Amino acid sequence: MKGARLHPLVVMALLLGAGVMLAPMVWTLLLSFKSNAALMADSGAAFSGPYTLENYAAILKGSLTLQWLANSLIVATGATVGVLVLSSLAGYGFARLEFPFRRTLFVIVLLGLAVPEQAVILPRHQLFAMLGLHNSYPGLILPSLTGSFGVFFMTQYFRAIPKELDEAALLDGASRFTLFWKVLLPLTFPAQATLGVFTFLAAWNDYWWPLISATTSDRFTLTVGLASAQMNYAQTSGLGFLMAQAVFASIPILVVYIAFQKQIVRAMAGTAVR
Amino acid sequence: MIGRALAFGFAGLLAGCAPADDRPEIVVQRFFGECGAAYGESTDVAAADTECGILTTLINRFEAENPDIRVKVNVVAWPGYPQLAAQIAAGDPPDLVTMHQSVISDYAGAGLIEPVEPLLAAARIDPAAFTPAARAGVEKEGRLYAMPWDTIGRLWHINTALMAEAGLMRGGKPVLPNSPEELLAHARQFRERTSKPYLIQAQVSAPDFHVALLYTYLLAQDAVIFPDARHIRLDTPQARAIVTVLRQLNAEGLTTLNQDFPAATAAFIQGEGGIFPVGTWMLGPYDAEAARSNSPLHGNYAVAPFPRLWGEEASFVDGHAWIVPAARRSPAERAAMARFLGFLAKYNYDWSRTGQLPAFAQVVESPAFRALPHRADIAALARTGKQLPGYVERQSAVQGLIGEELEAAITGAKPVDTALKDAERRVNRLYAQMM
Repeated sequence: MKGARLHPLVVMALLLGAGVMLAPMVWTLLLSFKSNAALMADSGAAFSGPYTLENYAAILKGSLTLQWLANSLIVATGATVGVLVLSSLAGYGFARLEFPFRRTLFVIVLLGLAVPEQAVILPRHQLFAMLGLHNSYPGLILPSLTGSFGVFFMTQYFRAIPKELDEAALLDGASRFTLFWKVLLPLTFPAQATLGVFTFLAAWNDYWWPLISATTSDRFTLTVGLASAQMNYAQTSGLGFLMAQAVFASIPILVVYIAFQKQIVRAMAGTAVR
Repeated sequence: MIGRALAFGFAGLLAGCAPADDRPEIVVQRFFGECGAAYGESTDVAAADTECGILTTLINRFEAENPDIRVKVNVVAWPGYPQLAAQIAAGDPPDLVTMHQSVISDYAGAGLIEPVEPLLAAARIDPAAFTPAARAGVEKEGRLYAMPWDTIGRLWHINTALMAEAGLMRGGKPVLPNSPEELLAHARQFRERTSKPYLIQAQVSAPDFHVALLYTYLLAQDAVIFPDARHIRLDTPQARAIVTVLRQLNAEGLTTLNQDFPAATAAFIQGEGGIFPVGTWMLGPYDAEAARSNSPLHGNYAVAPFPRLWGEEASFVDGHAWIVPAARRSPAERAAMARFLGFLAKYNYDWSRTGQLPAFAQVVESPAFRALPHRADIAALARTGKQLPGYVERQSAVQGLIGEELEAAITGAKPVDTALKDAERRVNRLYAQMM
């Protein structure tokens, strides 16, 4: 397949598909460079000049925008690191160690995949209120760490690694932790990268939990903060600003995507676990 | 290195020893967006513009004039009710919150907000000073649950150039219909002479648009829409007559079709139709557009309350208000809150520059308010504006359900009778499911 030329019709179909996918993004970008007043009269004005950076300036001049950006980075990074550490440890345990109720516990973890967030959000909110965790970074990060997907994902990955590696390392006198840390963990980097990217993206884009947990302006994440900055009829009288917000919020995601493009594509193709 | 560490530690120690700030703190939570870039430091209220700008400046000024009070401001995503519910559930509500008057019943009924008479008394605000429309919006079962801040109503925004072309201007004023028959006659005449639709309507993704029309003309006939807190009455001859006329306007092409709110807004500015029935909040933007020399609307903009078509003059209205979530507060905090409310009341005129009607009758009658563009034309709303009874809850969900059925009826997807019966049944089922 490598080096094979695609049929022109296939190329055209792909170009058409790419155009359809790109059109809303180009539309968003063009709108973000127009003044709100011009767009209120005619959103078609996006296709002609003059263009302006005033919407981006308004975002950056917003008193708390950089704080929200920092909050999002802290929360998304904290969630990613936490999920990777916990999922790797749990995945190793479920895949390699024998302990009482191992199967039962794993089934419970799997059941967690079937429980939607909506079902637990009220008790979780009450619990966090009792613990005084709202409006704090732990309050925003901790819910991400309880996801079952990471544990399941890493368990499957550890199971796919031949057990002969364990036996060889143990014969050489390695402890269980050394085996995990120095032999098996490095082999899981592709899975870690995939899980890390997905966790980061999910935490960055999360809106609902930050909306009800971080209720003071200085603790908003970027998604909630930018929403709070919108006026009531943003889609009518503040369309340019609204689109600039969308572009601004997606820049870090774009950076993550470009940096981890290979892992994301591989994960999408379902080939990360082999 | 050691010296730096010691200096750092000493600085930290000093910071820890700083005198505690024992000023009372009030947490003010509001929507209307964030505009710190333009108004973050502004205290000149008269120079501020837009809802966000005026309110931001007002709060800055209050802080400047009241250094003995700490004000913490939370700007929440519109309309802010999910956050407020979460804060109340967590036992950490703010002190003063912006709320739509139509939502107050939901919170008052559950005992989540406090009656504000003591705070109003402390702020020396006489409830008799409120306009009838504003007072009705905050009064539930004889108690005042908020300080009203304005009245939001629907208006007829009118393109006078097109109305003149249609022969519907007299003495420089638009000629508005006085009956449903006259409405259809005017609309047909307008289309005949201008080849454009008489009405511009947001009929897509705007469920409250037609609900406001229906409520307005039902209230104008003194119809009892909500006989009690758990039932609605829509399958009535009055409702059928109103919806039938709206359907007729669509069927004859006398209105724009398939437009959402932004598209309808743009269509009005571009002069694609005669009248856009939308809220007071668009008065400012349209007036600014009419002042722009290269706008199709330039010099051709007028505005009026909904015309009387059935019954008496009336308009379904809502409004913004300041509510107080129920919580324990110290006397000093309550005194600070009262001072804040008193301050806001003093500046109600400035808020009315947004296009909304003032909540205080004295401001509505003031020469300064009447001198604002078009305000004399719409001041009657403060008197004719009608709210739903104080016991009516879940208006947001209810209007969504009615809006869906009205859309089906008006576009011809359902017979009017069936749509109204379905709307009634769905709303009553919603109320039956409420605890």
